Amino acid sequence: LSAHHFIAATACHEAEYGRQIRERCLRPFKLSMEGIGQRLWCDWDETMGTYGELTNCTAAVAENLACYWPNRLVDEFFVAVHSHYFRNCSPSGRALHDPPNSVLCPFILVPVLVTLLMTALVVWRSKRSEGIV
Amino acid sequence: MEKTTHSCFLLIILLIRMVPSLTATVNYTDPTLEPVVTENSVIRQKIIDSQFKCYERMNRAPPYRKKGLFCNRTWDGWLCWDDTPAGRITAQNCPDYFPDFDPTERASKYCDETGNWFRHPESNRTWSNYTLCNSFTSEKLKMAFILYYMAIVGHALSITSLLISLAIFFYFKSLSCQRITLHKNLFFSYVLNSVFTIAHLIAVVPNPGLVKRDPASCKVLQFFHQYMLGCNYFWMLCEGIYLHTLIVVAVFAEEQRLHWYYLLGWGFPLVPASIHAAARAKYFNDNCWMSVDTYLLYIVHGPVMAALLVNFFFLLNIVRVLVTKLRDTHRAESNMYMKAVRATLILVPLLGIQFVIIPWRPENRLAGEIYDYIMHILMHYQGLLVATIFCFFNGEVQGALKRQWTQYKTQWGQRRREHCSTRSTSYTATSITEVPVYLYHHDSNNEQLNGRYVDDSELVALKSGETSA
Repeated sequence: LSAHHFIAATACHEAEYGRQIRERCLRPFKLSMEGIGQRLWCDWDETMGTYGELTNCTAAVAENLACYWPNRLVDEFFVAVHSHYFRNCSPSGRALHDPPNSVLCPFILVPVLVTLLMTALVVWRSKRSEGIV
Repeated sequence: MEKTTHSCFLLIILLIRMVPSLTATVNYTDPTLEPVVTENSVIRQKIIDSQFKCYERMNRAPPYRKKGLFCNRTWDGWLCWDDTPAGRITAQNCPDYFPDFDPTERASKYCDETGNWFRHPESNRTWSNYTLCNSFTSEKLKMAFILYYMAIVGHALSITSLLISLAIFFYFKSLSCQRITLHKNLFFSYVLNSVFTIAHLIAVVPNPGLVKRDPASCKVLQFFHQYMLGCNYFWMLCEGIYLHTLIVVAVFAEEQRLHWYYLLGWGFPLVPASIHAAARAKYFNDNCWMSVDTYLLYIVHGPVMAALLVNFFFLLNIVRVLVTKLRDTHRAESNMYMKAVRATLILVPLLGIQFVIIPWRPENRLAGEIYDYIMHILMHYQGLLVATIFCFFNGEVQGALKRQWTQYKTQWGQRRREHCSTRSTSYTATSITEVPVYLYHHDSNNEQLNGRYVDDSELVALKSGETSA
């Protein structure tokens, strides 16, 4: 058990890890993204595959160097990638989420108000029909 | 909607996903013939998705401004964790990547006093605590199955009792009056609601392949489901408005025109259901519209709650009028109306209470289970409750049934005795009085007359019973 710790402690050089992911992972990713074209960088359907490969690559390098994945360097690496390639994309555009409150509130309040109006109308009309009789 | 409907549905969805062996194999009906490792690549895709969103968030969120040590925001491989002050445990809901992970449980991560994330002592790597995510899943699965079958049984029982009540109301013409007409419409809407719910529970919920394919038919089913839910509560509102108009506005006068009630009960619920469908299609177009994790559901539930509230106030007003104003002047009628109102007054809170207590699911495990059972009974056995209170416990219905029963008994006795030739002449005398009682009172529609003639006709029934005995 302690041998394992020893290997883990000595085998994972952070500097080495940083260097390797930039060389072996970032370069193919750069080429691929340039191939896709800057216009489509925010299109998740296009970039999904490349991004997945980048992730797999960083994990593979971590395994080779006996580092655990993810780690602090991976965080920094991906934050840098995001700030360069995905900075202008709409945030969480691919998640299902509710519309903003300015849209949601009218959608909810209008049926409620119409309900109350309709109820008042029915009460008024049934009152009137009594008057006729 | 609220967390409990959320957790109810999640339990049901959880139980579906616990049958992975059936869905992980090759799907021969799918023309693209996906491979066996479909499940894994789908899971992988979800994780990559979450990772992307996490780094986006980490990039855009403002830097940590508070004083003191803190742990940096990080992606731990499954979930995103924000900047956390030192010495604090932060928690969030478990992810739903794996079939045995329960998204209602919490995963936690500890930031120690030195401003570093907790490292597991055995592996010395930063470690988040996901143990709660799959530790209770087998028990929850069992309970989810029980609740699922309870829901189906509840709706089946409701349909049966409602159809029997409708049969009673249609058969006994003597009972017909405007209020009974409203009851018939209410029962019919409950029957349709239960039918659509059972269809949804049996065809869509246990069928992840269908949900993945996301055909238009399951969205149409969901639309009709929401429409019928609206119809249920709006017909309850119609009952309340009818009683209110009858008692408070135009005291014990004659017939009202029912056209507006039909419009409010059957026509108006199309409005919130359509708006919900349009909003859902535009803003939250998930597969089969099954997710309950959206406030867009309030487009339907908001008007329903408004209707319940209005109904409740109408009924309170009716009780107030009956108790204060009519006590002295129209004593007999006010008693009878009190009985009529009592049934509606019991039902409206019972139907509405699920909306009130739904946000407060207890944290304790046992209390939470009891809460789930009670909520499921309140939600799925409503039709049975409505049929029982409005029909089976109704004095007039019971009287009509008793009369019919005694009539059948005497007819049966008469048929047996007709075989004996010695006593034929006396039976022609009794057969005249055996004419069904309700034929004499066929035309009365007024609630008031209904009340009065019940006593008369019961006396006649007793008399005819005596002569034939």
